[in-house]
Amino acid sequence: MKYQLTLNGKPTEVEAPGDISLLSLLRDHLGLTGTKEGCSIGECGACSVLLDHKLVNSCMVLAAQANGREVITIEGICPSDGSPNDLQDAFIRYGAVQCGFCTPGMVLAGEALLAADPQPTRSQIREAIAGNLCRCTGYQQIVDAIEQTAQSRRERRGHA
Amino acid sequence: MEKFAYIRAHSAGEAVTLLNEPGLKSSVLGGSTDIMLLLRHDAYYCDRLVDISLIPELHLIEQMDGRVIIGAAATFSEVMQHPLIRSTAPVLEQACRTVGAVQIRNMGTLGGNVINAAACADSLPALICLDAHAHILTSEGEQSLPVSRLVTSPNRTLLPPGGLLVSLSYAIPTTGSRSAFIKLGRRNAMAISRLTVAALGRVDADGKIIEARLVTGSATPRIERLSAVENLLLNQFPTENLFALAGKTTVEEMIRLSGRRWSSEFKVPALEAMTARVLAQVFPTGEAA
Repeated sequence: MKYQLTLNGKPTEVEAPGDISLLSLLRDHLGLTGTKEGCSIGECGACSVLLDHKLVNSCMVLAAQANGREVITIEGICPSDGSPNDLQDAFIRYGAVQCGFCTPGMVLAGEALLAADPQPTRSQIREAIAGNLCRCTGYQQIVDAIEQTAQSRRERRGHA
Repeated sequence: MEKFAYIRAHSAGEAVTLLNEPGLKSSVLGGSTDIMLLLRHDAYYCDRLVDISLIPELHLIEQMDGRVIIGAAATFSEVMQHPLIRSTAPVLEQACRTVGAVQIRNMGTLGGNVINAAACADSLPALICLDAHAHILTSEGEQSLPVSRLVTSPNRTLLPPGGLLVSLSYAIPTTGSRSAFIKLGRRNAMAISRLTVAALGRVDADGKIIEARLVTGSATPRIERLSAVENLLLNQFPTENLFALAGKTTVEEMIRLSGRRWSSEFKVPALEAMTARVLAQVFPTGEAA
């Protein structure tokens, strides 16, 4: 079937089977391999993307359900020059990335939280990333990175 | 070759027409979080998925004639964030909050949770505690029945073939009622319920219990109000002793309805404590208040 969606801000068209997951559409048919396949059963969050600005597991969404809608993947959140955005940069500075497999999903979970709540508490940050498993870091550094980014974004907005 | 086809319905009526189209085995696609798992095991489960998740009328949450009506395709996130649910049914808000994690709550629907009818479905004890009704549309017309009758046993419902669950509704509890929900899982998030308890009630001006409803989840084959426990609470003053006795009675009911199982060793003390705890939230005792 023919898919038409707004992908990372750009109108996108692609021909692909109608019985695949959004994850497969992104990785196998659109070449966006930043979104990772972990468990494929909605438990690890490595495949997290934003569908109409809401965080979802792309392995649990039928690609056809996303047709005509807006999808944002990890490839869509960085500045146009391709450098990391402030949250990704904080992940690097705080040591929140080790093997990196959970990172794209983790960053998008962080972005979804910060879009809804610019001043989350640490326990709200933990709740927001509860659907994203990380087997390396122990989460502490990830919570630090999100918390610090929330603070610096607030400060920037305050000065603006 | 695609294993199944996909079609998006734009209204509840259109969805029912599509579900009843002859010569095709059609199945409802709601939040997709259960059906994507099912399709992994059985890709030929149906010929066509009828997507109801983007029908605006099925996302409505509104108040009408003293009842709150929730569209069947409302997601757990939509339900738990809605002011009407938060003010009239904390038990349902709390139940939805315990489902999966953000990603699952953003897709999974209340209607899907009911029709999938897992023994561990988090919303079912809350809905049954609220005496919620299910409103079903078929090609013959509309029908309504209590959720406790719709869900007959794990993964079984009385939903007629070709029928669509359109909405769920509950009478707004009398002013002064309180309700609460407690879940026990292996961890706080992303955990399948091992046990849940939902309770609702109110006391009169003297502090005596005049309404009590208690429902357990993941404990009995059929999810229903436990009248033995409710009768024990009625016309009593809330005390810790009473709650402890209610906990014991709840456990007796679980054993009577489910028999002793490998998990009873663990579930008996857990359910006893959870029942006492949820009742303490619903009926603040003189000591605590």
